[in-house]
Amino acid sequence: MRRAVGSVPLLLMLFFIGHAKETRYSPPGKPKLTSCRSPEKETFTCWWEPGSDGGLPTTYALYYRKENSDAVYECPDYHTAGENSCFFNKNDTSIWVNYNITVVATNALGSNFSDPVDVDVVYIVQPHTPENVTVTVMEDKDGPFLRVSWEPPRKADTRSGWITLIYELRVKLEGEEEWEEHRAGQQKMFNIFSLRSGGMYLVQVRCKPDHGFWSEWSSTTYIKVPDYFPRETSVWILIAVFSAFIFFILTWILNLKSNSVKHCLLPPVPGPKIKGFDKQLLKNGRSEEVFSALVVPGFPPTTSSDCEDLLVEYLEVYTPEEQELILEEGKDLQEGCLKSKGSPSDSDSGRGSCDSHTLLMEKCGEGEGKEEKHQERAQKGKRQQKHQTGWEEGDVSHTREDVLSPDMSEGRVKTWPSVFSPLPQYSSRPLDHQGSLETARQLCLSDSLFPPPSTSSHLSYNAKEGLALGSGQQEFYLGKKQTHPSNPQSQPRWHLQAHSDFNISSMDRKQAASGLQLPGFRSTEYVEVQRVNQEDMVILQPLFSSSCQRDGHLQIGQGEDYSKVKGVDSGNMLLLQREVEVKREEEDGDRYSCDIQDRVTESCYTTSTAASSQVTGKPTSCAGTAMPVQEEMVLAANGYVDAATMLL
Amino acid sequence: MHIYKKIKKLLQGGVWALLLWPCLLTVSHPLDCKEEQGSISRCPTISQEKLLDRVIQHAEVIYRVSEESCTLFEEMFVPFPMRLQRNQAGYTCITKALPIPSSKSEIQQISDTWLLHSVLMLVQSWIEPLVYLQTTLDRYDDAPDLLLNKTKWVSEKLVSLEQGVVVLMKKMLDEGMLTTAYNEHGLVQYDVQPEMLESVLRDYMLLSCFKKDAHKMETFLKLLKCRQTDKYNCALY
Repeated sequence: MRRAVGSVPLLLMLFFIGHAKETRYSPPGKPKLTSCRSPEKETFTCWWEPGSDGGLPTTYALYYRKENSDAVYECPDYHTAGENSCFFNKNDTSIWVNYNITVVATNALGSNFSDPVDVDVVYIVQPHTPENVTVTVMEDKDGPFLRVSWEPPRKADTRSGWITLIYELRVKLEGEEEWEEHRAGQQKMFNIFSLRSGGMYLVQVRCKPDHGFWSEWSSTTYIKVPDYFPRETSVWILIAVFSAFIFFILTWILNLKSNSVKHCLLPPVPGPKIKGFDKQLLKNGRSEEVFSALVVPGFPPTTSSDCEDLLVEYLEVYTPEEQELILEEGKDLQEGCLKSKGSPSDSDSGRGSCDSHTLLMEKCGEGEGKEEKHQERAQKGKRQQKHQTGWEEGDVSHTREDVLSPDMSEGRVKTWPSVFSPLPQYSSRPLDHQGSLETARQLCLSDSLFPPPSTSSHLSYNAKEGLALGSGQQEFYLGKKQTHPSNPQSQPRWHLQAHSDFNISSMDRKQAASGLQLPGFRSTEYVEVQRVNQEDMVILQPLFSSSCQRDGHLQIGQGEDYSKVKGVDSGNMLLLQREVEVKREEEDGDRYSCDIQDRVTESCYTTSTAASSQVTGKPTSCAGTAMPVQEEMVLAANGYVDAATMLL
Repeated sequence: MHIYKKIKKLLQGGVWALLLWPCLLTVSHPLDCKEEQGSISRCPTISQEKLLDRVIQHAEVIYRVSEESCTLFEEMFVPFPMRLQRNQAGYTCITKALPIPSSKSEIQQISDTWLLHSVLMLVQSWIEPLVYLQTTLDRYDDAPDLLLNKTKWVSEKLVSLEQGVVVLMKKMLDEGMLTTAYNEHGLVQYDVQPEMLESVLRDYMLLSCFKKDAHKMETFLKLLKCRQTDKYNCALY
């Protein structure tokens, strides 16, 4: 029997071994302590994770050792905290003491120890979630706000100060993803402002000891904010309305002043003012034509020119016979000029002055054309138009030099360009009022007696001086030009430009200095202002009776020297002064008429910007014979062509 | 770099100011007023409650700073595997020997007097080791200024905490000032420079222990406060 009994365990063991061999039993795997937590710093629990059990029932045991003590204790409570856990109650828990905890897994085949873990209860505190989280909507003068209040977890002893908790809450609108977190410190109440009216909010609270872990978030509390009108919105609305109002006012003002604004921002693009420039051609795309139109033959000056030439002043006068021809046809005029300019040795060409930009003077077609071009704006008269059209062709093809190149003689006197100002200026200023130029009118004075060389030099010198004096002042300059008697077709042009301010004295001085003294120029012919046409152009008329050069061989006994400008009066009248020096040629009929003319002019020397009729009427009033003369104008009486009348 | 250091110091100063603002309250009033016999006390008197509050604030801040210092030190010097092991080669906290309660039940059973005494004992026993810690930290090459400053500050504040507790004891318990008899358990001085790792570990342990003791002080004082205000509710648990 005993043997039988004794053999049972042996059999059992054999059986088990046999079993073990079949199912591969093994000692348990290593367990692992996952965490230990204390909810209130008075008790704590440790959890572990079992390893493989090796196929056999495995038991787990937790052993701990307190700091600095070798006594090993086993876990007092395996059940309170659930499976695979160990619960330490108050009596077993020591604070500020290190626990060395180990878990052992044991099965029939063996046991396995886990890694030891050091635990100090103070550092593993993780409280429960705060309780009784309540949210209420409170009213304030600025709007509603939320008041959140809560209580610490039940078990945490914050009252006695055993454990100090700090709280945190988070809020979000329903539908949003991001929470808005707020630290509440140790207080148990919190206010939330700046709510969206009518929104549904979610609130959660959690806590943490000053040395430990955060608790879980409390369960969500829902709260709905009532509808209200936020004050900020009303302020924004006010601001928006105000700024809209200002904006409208600004746009209205801008609209009113759109033109000036446009001018300010986008200044008008100046068009091309190149002589001979045709926009249409350019638009047509034929650049060759355009540019060919601009080409002025004879530029740059090929003929020799003296320095003196540049300073020469010319007053071109052309003889009556030529006048019609010249006037009527621009080209003819040009030719006339050319012809008259015939002398090869032209020391007096004055080309330079013609070439210069500041040349205001008119020379044959050139000055004319320029004038026309530049005066287009200022003077728009039919006459001018006609004249211009007549001249334009010539103008285009002729440069100043051309005009000048028909070098009348040395005695040409030209108005010094710089005195008058550059062309554009010239075009704008004087044309405006003083009727500075009369495009239509070209007077050519011929001067037969003028010894060319001396005078030219003289003139040039004088001109310079004159210029110097006249710079900055508006000077009325009469130039004298001497035409060869042999050049009937010379067509001196005389261009008078009058500015509002005249400096007679300087003029006089100039004349005196220059030796352009009239007395010295017995042979010169003088131009008087006959009238001012409607376009405020001074119509000049050769003055002296002797210059009734119809025939071309006028001898100038200049009785009267009207080359002096007295001044310009307030009525923008060009006052010419007559210096009487009687020396008349005898050509009775003409003379008479010339005399009369003189007289007429004498008494009617004032030019005015009044209607031309006034001027024209003068001669008639002065002398009966003057009238017919008048009609023909300069043509008849003194051989001067009144271009204006022609145009009339 | 010069400017950078200055800015850094400024920032640290700002951080310090933020952390230690409650100390301004305590600094303004010296806790320890020496009264001469026969003469009128020049020190402004302070109520017991306020004093206790201030002492508690002190203790709270000290704990917080010590926690930060410990973390800094750990990050800087302690290798990972050794970080959470509290029992290093039989190292024990210096205050182990002190008769200080270590569980809530125990604490609730001891008297107010004993609580205060415990606090005083702790404070006094830590003053010197912290000074020593300063010197050891200076020996490290790359110890951050922040750490050094913090430890320095803590040792200073500890002294003032001691003063406060002493005054408190006088007021609460009508006892005379106790001599610091507990410092004899002081630190073992090492003549020989220990190895780097050893030194590091030792210092780490020191800081950890101090952190724990600071927490003890704070807890005790808070419990004391509760007892002062509401005796019945506090004792009940």
